[in-house]
Amino acid sequence: MAALILPAGLLVVLLMVAPMLLLARISLNQFSPTEMMVEAMSPENYIRAVQDPYYRSVLLTTMVVALGCTLLCLALGFPTAYWLARMQSRWKSIATILILFPLLVGNVVRSAGWIALLGNEGAINAALRGLHLIEAPLPLLYNAFAVVVGIVAVVLPYMILTLSAVIEGIPRQTEEAAANLGARPLTAFRRVVLPLAIPGVAAGSVLVFILCMNAYATPVLLGGPQFKMMAPAVYDQFVRGNNWPFGAALAFILLFATMVLTLVGSALIGRRYRR
Amino acid sequence: MGDLVLEALTKRYGGTVAVEDVDLEVRQGEMVALLGPSGCGKTTTLRMVAGFITPSAGHVRIAGQDVTRRPPYARDTGMVFQSYALFPHMSVAQNVAFGLEMRRVGRTERETRVMEALRLVRLDHLADRLPGQLSGGQQQRVALARALVVNPAVFLLDEPLSNLDAKLRGEVRMEIRSLQQRLGLTTLIVTHDQEEALTMADRLVVMERGRVRQVGTAEELYESPRDPFVAGFVGRCNLIEGQPEGTAGFRARGGALLPCTTAAAPVGTGGVLALRPERIALAAAAPGEGAARLEAVTYLGAQTEYVVDYAGTSLVVIRATPPEGDPLRRLAPGDAVALTWDPAAARLLPAQ
Ligand SMILES: Nc1ncnc2c1ncn2[C@@H]1O[C@H](COP(=O)(O)OP(=O)(O)OP(=O)(O)O)[C@@H](O)[C@H]1O
Ligand SMILES: [Mg+2]
Repeated sequence: MAALILPAGLLVVLLMVAPMLLLARISLNQFSPTEMMVEAMSPENYIRAVQDPYYRSVLLTTMVVALGCTLLCLALGFPTAYWLARMQSRWKSIATILILFPLLVGNVVRSAGWIALLGNEGAINAALRGLHLIEAPLPLLYNAFAVVVGIVAVVLPYMILTLSAVIEGIPRQTEEAAANLGARPLTAFRRVVLPLAIPGVAAGSVLVFILCMNAYATPVLLGGPQFKMMAPAVYDQFVRGNNWPFGAALAFILLFATMVLTLVGSALIGRRYRR
Repeated sequence: MGDLVLEALTKRYGGTVAVEDVDLEVRQGEMVALLGPSGCGKTTTLRMVAGFITPSAGHVRIAGQDVTRRPPYARDTGMVFQSYALFPHMSVAQNVAFGLEMRRVGRTERETRVMEALRLVRLDHLADRLPGQLSGGQQQRVALARALVVNPAVFLLDEPLSNLDAKLRGEVRMEIRSLQQRLGLTTLIVTHDQEEALTMADRLVVMERGRVRQVGTAEELYESPRDPFVAGFVGRCNLIEGQPEGTAGFRARGGALLPCTTAAAPVGTGGVLALRPERIALAAAAPGEGAARLEAVTYLGAQTEYVVDYAGTSLVVIRATPPEGDPLRRLAPGDAVALTWDPAAARLLPAQ
């Protein structure tokens, strides 16, 4: 067994840790317009990123969007996950496939679909204008709204499947016992189902939050030029600005922010429901 | 507190009938057991009373009120689930307090009543444990306390002892019965263990394939079963198919003529003769004499079971094990025996 685990473990280390270490090293180098990168050991890229109001606002936008999307996914995902978990066997696999179905379409193709739906000449605006409900097209595309809608549509299946796996593990009889003791459905949900589903809520939220923090294609394609999130900003530095050290520093700031928020969030959820 | 009445209660699932036309009255303070083979509709009936299953037809009345259309949380029944269904994230005390909280009982009263209920099931020293830290029997008693503490109008138990080992089952059985009597709870219990039903309940309901076959006390069901199913299900019974032959007795299909008082029964109609194994007396007979031959002997400790071929009809006989030295003790398969019984002990029942 050990003979198998060791090479596999080494491969994982190589694939996951090595690029990170390399990136960490690069983030401490200096940018030079002529030579691209000069060997150094300085925190100046981090200091610049943190002090620049532009990148501060990009980070803030990223966090707000990720948090908003996560909450939205919870609100939309919980009822669906509950419904899925309590479903009778025959339809369950079909429903699961339907929920997974959106993941079969890549992010770019999907975004094209959203553009066709939300754009000024898109289906929604065309329909509303055709019905004479509006004069000028509604600004549905190239803003935060479009990005949130687009991201939620991508990550919602992850939330639903994570939650429903946990809810399935809650015996229906505990809910019946609550009802039998006089709890109305909402009370039974709040006092019994939700506390027992907390591991799923935490796991699903962490998963979805990380996906949102690192979203790339959706903000680029649906956010337009004005709307910036961290992952595209990192990419810009690497490819357009050729500034690898600064891009690497931004990447680590994104990683750090994601980790801190994830830990704080998990701790809050845990404390609220551990009794 | 109140009585429970089921009127023509029916549940169908598509084409299959789970419960059909069940009429039953459980009087205030009475304990009634639903007894029957697997799949006969006991759980379905109980869950219709609790409100988890909507009947296809019929009514459920609790304390005079029709609750057929009421949701479970508005029914005032206290149910003990087969799996206990305790809330795993709440302590024992919180589990027991849940129903009182739902009824908006104030904090101080709640605490006293919870401790009282836990004392009743002798678990007050474990009030702060989580259910996962208790043994099966202790969890079972928490479930009991949780259902009892709210003083439900109707107390419902679905095979509450099936997850316990034999010794504990006996103890908890007595415990449930004495609690039920002390608190005067109107109780419906589901079981497929007839011993459990016989020892705990005031009256028994024997069900088969969704229908009620007979309702009565243990004695009534045992002594005067209405049909062969009840006779065979409650206690052991020789059920012999054949026809009554006036004052002569009962002619079994195998040809044997069995003494019984069936003079009133019309000659020629088919029937089933029910004869309890312990009502048959057995004696040794000289070879060639008498029509009965011993086929098997099983020593069961206090009792011995004999299988006898009685002129072509196989009969089971159960007798107290004869003392050492008794000639009966030396009986072996193949020996000739003589069987006798009081003709009044053999009951003629309608064919199934
Ligand atoms: N949801 C359902 N759909 C279809 N048939 C059902 C359903 N629930 C129960 N049944 C059928 O109804 C009948 C009665 O079931 P029920 O659970 O009441 O039996 P039971 O007497 O409690 O049996 P056991 O002693 O095995 O628990 C069974 O034949 C069962 O297959
Ligand atoms: Mg059952």
